[in-house]
Amino acid sequence: MLEMLSYEFMQRAILASIVIGLVCSIIGVFVILKNLTFIGAGTSHAAFAGVTLGYLTGFNPLAVAIVFSLLTVWIVGYLNKKGALMLDTSVGMFYSLTMALAVLFIGLMKVYNAEVYGYLFGSILSVTKMDLKVILILGAIVLLIVYLFFKEFHFITFDEEMAKASGIAAGWLSFLLLNLIAITIVVSLKSVGAILVFALIVTPAAAAYQLTYSMIRMFSYSAIIGVGSSVAGVLLSYWFDLPSGATTVLFVSGVFFLSVIFSPKRRIAVNSVD
Amino acid sequence: MNDNVIIRLLNATISYQNRTAIRDVSLEIHQGEFVGIIGPNGSGKTTLLKSVLGLVCPTSGSIQIFDCACHKLRCHHRAKIGYIPQKGQIDHNFPVTVAETVMMGRYSSLGLFKHPSKKDKELVVNALAEVGMADYKDAPLGHLSGGQQQRVMIARALVQQPEILLMDEPTTGIDTPTQYSMIKFISGLHKNLNLTVLLVTHDINMISPYVDRMALLKTRLYAFGTPSEVLNEKILTEVYGQQVIVTTKEGGTYVIAGDYHHHA
Repeated sequence: MLEMLSYEFMQRAILASIVIGLVCSIIGVFVILKNLTFIGAGTSHAAFAGVTLGYLTGFNPLAVAIVFSLLTVWIVGYLNKKGALMLDTSVGMFYSLTMALAVLFIGLMKVYNAEVYGYLFGSILSVTKMDLKVILILGAIVLLIVYLFFKEFHFITFDEEMAKASGIAAGWLSFLLLNLIAITIVVSLKSVGAILVFALIVTPAAAAYQLTYSMIRMFSYSAIIGVGSSVAGVLLSYWFDLPSGATTVLFVSGVFFLSVIFSPKRRIAVNSVD
Repeated sequence: MNDNVIIRLLNATISYQNRTAIRDVSLEIHQGEFVGIIGPNGSGKTTLLKSVLGLVCPTSGSIQIFDCACHKLRCHHRAKIGYIPQKGQIDHNFPVTVAETVMMGRYSSLGLFKHPSKKDKELVVNALAEVGMADYKDAPLGHLSGGQQQRVMIARALVQQPEILLMDEPTTGIDTPTQYSMIKFISGLHKNLNLTVLLVTHDINMISPYVDRMALLKTRLYAFGTPSEVLNEKILTEVYGQQVIVTTKEGGTYVIAGDYHHHA
């Protein structure tokens, strides 16, 4: 067991999975309580389009991915604020638009590029030193901002209008939150992939939601489930030679179903019928 | 001009989305007054409360809260205004406890980057005791009855240590006996804590024994004065567009609405 830790790629994979598991599961609590699930899914496709453009033009794929996913939340957020479109509608448009761009950019490449597909499904065991640096820096930025504005995010998640009435810059903070979601997706892109990243954001928080009535405790439960599943995914994929992204998602989904079965909320529901 | 005026509207008109919510309203509310705001649906009652919070500001005329113009209302002023919005249904499973909900009332006074201290936790416990909900500190908010949830929302406003309390339909969706105990309770808070209270309601009879003054609003301010001054058959009939009878019993003034002439 310990022998695998002597491999540098395993050390990087485990460190990356801890950071990604933590960042995704903390952001995930805001995502599910504020009903932002779809915007996250749309943003991950935009990020993938950015990656493909990066490979096509020779720029750093992750840098272009960040630009694409931030642009998506800015435009979607702007359209929503101006009352032009419902959030879900504009995200729906961007979801297909950015996927179309990704297909176009891949087509323009002429040659098959396996690395591009790595970003679609993720492979945490191939995280490079450079990737790890990006994950650590962006992850730290997201966590620091969440820590600094925690009580404000907490308030707008519960009741945006009330928060505004108390003098909290609710509109600005909601926008900041969208940006953090976009960055979180880019952080996780290489290791879990554009298609699966959303499971890592939504599922730990959804499992934690089953287990507690306290929002503060929900953050801790979500973090434990997120980090635990993420590390478990790496270990299982190493031991059984499985694709890491899929293994992680299946593991965390298993945790979710267990938490539904053992949820105290379900028990109360059954009792109140009696 | 009176020195202890805490809210002053001068010819205030507020329009948004091409609709005028209140037009040319002038009124002064004194520190420590309990004012009921009444009027039909869509008459601008909620807009008036929101303007006192600085969330909407007049398109012409002026609104002054404390020593501050509406659009300059700063955080430290907002912290002195407790707001209890019209009650939305809280999802049964939403993960927020009673204590967490009340703690949010402290957030704006804390300022950026600061986390709640032991003293804030004490203030939360005290506010819950004040509204008689101390035993429910760790209960999920969604599990409480409508009246209990409303008390928690009042505790959240009180924990701000406000000078002004704004309440939008605080008794909607609560059964009648609880409504009366709620109004009595609010009146008690007003007296004990020397709060200025603005309460929006449909239920004129319920609040008239408790309020100092009433504002009758239907875009324009139709009347502003003591309940016996405002509850006038002619004005009420004009504002509500149907026959209204005002009667006094045991010193209280009551309003009966309905199409009595058809039955007579």
